Amino acid sequence: MSRQSHIRILAPRSAAPYIAREISRRRFLELAGVVGVTGALAACAPTVKPSTQATGGPVEGELSIYSWGDYDAPEVLEAFTSELGPTITMDAFNSNEEMIAKLTTSKGTSGYDIVVPTGVFIPGMAQNGLLSKLNLDLIPNIQHMDPAFLGQDWDPNNEYSICKAWGTTGFVYDKTVISRELTTWADFIDAAQNEASGKTSVLDDPAEITGIYFWANGIDWNTTDPDDLDAAEKFAVEELAPHISRFDSYPGGEAIPQASQVLMQVWNGDARIGILNSPDPDRWQWVLGAPKTELWMDNWAIAAGAPHPEAAHAFINYVLTPENALAELDYIGYHTGEAGIEEAARDAELEMLDLVFFTPEQIATMVNGEVTEAQARIVDIWNKTKAAASA
Amino acid sequence: MSGKRRAASDVALGVWGVAVFAFLFAPIVVVVMSSFNSGRLLVAWQGFSLEPFAAIVSKPAIRDAVLVSLQTGAIAAVVASILGMLAGIALARRPGKWAAWFIALLLLVSVTPEIVDAVSLLPWLVFLGQDLGLPIFNDGIARLVIGHSLFSTAVVSYIVRARLIGLDARLEEASADLYAPPVRTFLRITLPLVAPAVLAGALLSFTLSLDNTVIAAFVQVSGSTPWPVYVLSALRSGLRPEIAAVSTVMLVLTLGALAVVWAVLRRSGDSSNQIARTLAGG
Amino acid sequence: MRKPGWLLAVPAWVWLLVFFVAPVLQVLWFSFGYKPGIFGTHANDVLSLDRYAEALTPTFFATFQNTLGIAVAGTLLCLVIALPMAYWMAAKVPSRHRGLLLALVLVPYWTNFLIRTIGWQIILSPEGVLSHLGQSLGFGPIDILYTRAAVLLGVVYNYLPLMILPLYVAFDRVDPALREASKDLGANRFRTLFGVTLPLAQPGIIAGIVLVFIPLMGDYITPTVLGGARGNMVGQLVASQFQTAQNWALGAAMAVLLILVIAVTLGVAALLAWAVTFPLRARARLRLGEAA
Repeated sequence: MSRQSHIRILAPRSAAPYIAREISRRRFLELAGVVGVTGALAACAPTVKPSTQATGGPVEGELSIYSWGDYDAPEVLEAFTSELGPTITMDAFNSNEEMIAKLTTSKGTSGYDIVVPTGVFIPGMAQNGLLSKLNLDLIPNIQHMDPAFLGQDWDPNNEYSICKAWGTTGFVYDKTVISRELTTWADFIDAAQNEASGKTSVLDDPAEITGIYFWANGIDWNTTDPDDLDAAEKFAVEELAPHISRFDSYPGGEAIPQASQVLMQVWNGDARIGILNSPDPDRWQWVLGAPKTELWMDNWAIAAGAPHPEAAHAFINYVLTPENALAELDYIGYHTGEAGIEEAARDAELEMLDLVFFTPEQIATMVNGEVTEAQARIVDIWNKTKAAASA
Repeated sequence: MSGKRRAASDVALGVWGVAVFAFLFAPIVVVVMSSFNSGRLLVAWQGFSLEPFAAIVSKPAIRDAVLVSLQTGAIAAVVASILGMLAGIALARRPGKWAAWFIALLLLVSVTPEIVDAVSLLPWLVFLGQDLGLPIFNDGIARLVIGHSLFSTAVVSYIVRARLIGLDARLEEASADLYAPPVRTFLRITLPLVAPAVLAGALLSFTLSLDNTVIAAFVQVSGSTPWPVYVLSALRSGLRPEIAAVSTVMLVLTLGALAVVWAVLRRSGDSSNQIARTLAGG
Repeated sequence: MRKPGWLLAVPAWVWLLVFFVAPVLQVLWFSFGYKPGIFGTHANDVLSLDRYAEALTPTFFATFQNTLGIAVAGTLLCLVIALPMAYWMAAKVPSRHRGLLLALVLVPYWTNFLIRTIGWQIILSPEGVLSHLGQSLGFGPIDILYTRAAVLLGVVYNYLPLMILPLYVAFDRVDPALREASKDLGANRFRTLFGVTLPLAQPGIIAGIVLVFIPLMGDYITPTVLGGARGNMVGQLVASQFQTAQNWALGAAMAVLLILVIAVTLGVAALLAWAVTFPLRARARLRLGEAA
């Protein structure tokens, strides 16, 4: 905590505990970094004009959305335009860092209305004035959301964000090669070192690699204990790296349908797409990481200085209707957080829903990431693992 | 005897050449086939369909991204060609102490990794656009053009310089001796001399810009996602066959344009070869 | 009365000073600074070379070896494949077709790089075309995806056109009369090739090596798409410091080291080439002397 004492933030007293907790979130580091970069430039800049708050006035004729590529069902976007008027401009980013860099450096003039950040980034973005508060009066359809996916740690009152899609981390293996049953991260490690050696891929993300070790061994994923980190490095570099053939964040797009790996660490929605599109789906087994694993959530949010706030609220409200939420789920393959969507999806006979919906017990094993001072160390471990795997 | 051996070696060379072309086009053929895939994923064949091509029309994001890339590529090519042409002429015709410095700068531009250009350009463009209030630097296309023009300017400069060094300067001198104003000498003599090199450089700049991902991702603003950034970000929910369909359409258009250019140039004699010959250092 | 010619270079000077030198100097400046706590990317109130020391850790070294290995092998392979190809295009193909063939060499470049590499993945995957071909020919399944061979395949594929173009130009400039003359003087074909054609094509060979080697050293995406973990490059380390770790000081130091290594490698290669070809040139002079 002492490390945080030098940060001063103007906030209501009641919010202080939240902020103190949230500020240490792992990803916040990256955001703060970008903010720091332009700090010097910002000092002489004209102050950001307060973002225009939506009041339920007439919907503007345009809407600009900055999101992950191909992350919304085209028919939903089209229907929105034909029913309510605004034409939609879609822009894509490859990482949260990229999106935050864009918003930070443009100081409220990015021209984006809606952005889709991953949850752990939201407190930092809000504190740095990158997001505009939602007017929930204009989003009555929030009533359709499952309360379990509202009020997350990073935004307890949904002041800035509403769940767009969420997912978790597990792995997929080829049953024609690995005949035994794998159920935990420890099994993943063991299979990687044996049957799947040289045919194993892991996610191309620093915290996912140390995550395998921490989750498997019951260590806090967000630990900053140097001994834990040293142990994770020893494991990743010496025991895991020699067996890794690829660092791949999206094996569902290629590796699973092409059967080019035997064992892959993978996000659930991606695994589902891959297995559904495999010429031999029965060959693949999905396993949710155990005993612990990750939970990530991408969220609808409105950028500060959004030029079309009414249209932005209208859009968020629009996608939250049960029909549209289902269309989105069907298109991207991730849970959109609506209450009752599981039944709707089963009624619509969507396939492989056990990779989309999880039981409350399973959800209880999923943890959020945090930004800690160990970030640089984790990136270092990742780079060392990559160097060791290339030998 | 020797004639037969010669023929054999020619055949071997021809086979090698055809094999290299097969190598260059093998994945392109696969991509074209994938663009008729009815399935959800580009890589997993399910059946024949024209659906992916319909998506180009129905998904404005895809169309916009391609248009942004084409526009950026064209403007970046023009900017790089003009800057590089002038610099190349100066380097070839008026070398001096400054030229060594300039060549050093060009070399530095070419060895700097893209990621460094990208992270340094972003805050800089924002500083110019927001703090100095120059609105041009808030424009998405302008930013992309600036980012893509750096390496290309260096390349065009090399190409033009190499072209001119191989040609006699006496024509220009004669023109000047005959009291032609410098602008006229430039337009009538120098410009036609360097034209093939500039065209070649423009083509190369356009090509490099079309594929630029790293710089583009950093400097783009609202409404200006270029095609490569779109493709990379679409990995999040799995690449669909539409992406291959767009490539197929672009490929067909390219080949069509090439066929037209070739037909035209064949009539005007050997000049297609002239253009080709100056590519990359002629 | 002549205008000073360097005026023509002023626009390019200004353009590169404003959009390259100014922003990049800023990054160079960062490399002498440090990362202030976990919330900053860089600070420069205390200057040091510590980041350079940090950058020279064993990780960086191992990755550097890998990068250099891939870049050198990739460049040489491109050269070996492109030499006969360019010679064929320049000397054997009827001249009216040459422009078209050259354009065709560039056409694959007009498809997005990620898409054309995915094209290769489809071909190379264990269930793919190549593997089935291998099986039906009795070689058994061919599975080279994510091996060192796949790294080189991806690299060669993406950089080959940059080697073919300058080589073509160089061969095209060699006057066929020179080759004829060499033959008329009794030289056999190999002697003509190594004594006349290749030395005359030398500028093209150098241009091709530079055009392939430099971008390849900084590339970190192409080698990994087909090569997976085997294609780990220094560019990835640099990018990870700027993006994920947000340590701009260290990232900048790594970038500067990368630039230096590229420059030194090219310098050494130039020296080596000069030393190796020295006897060749001496002999060529001798022969010319005899002929005279």
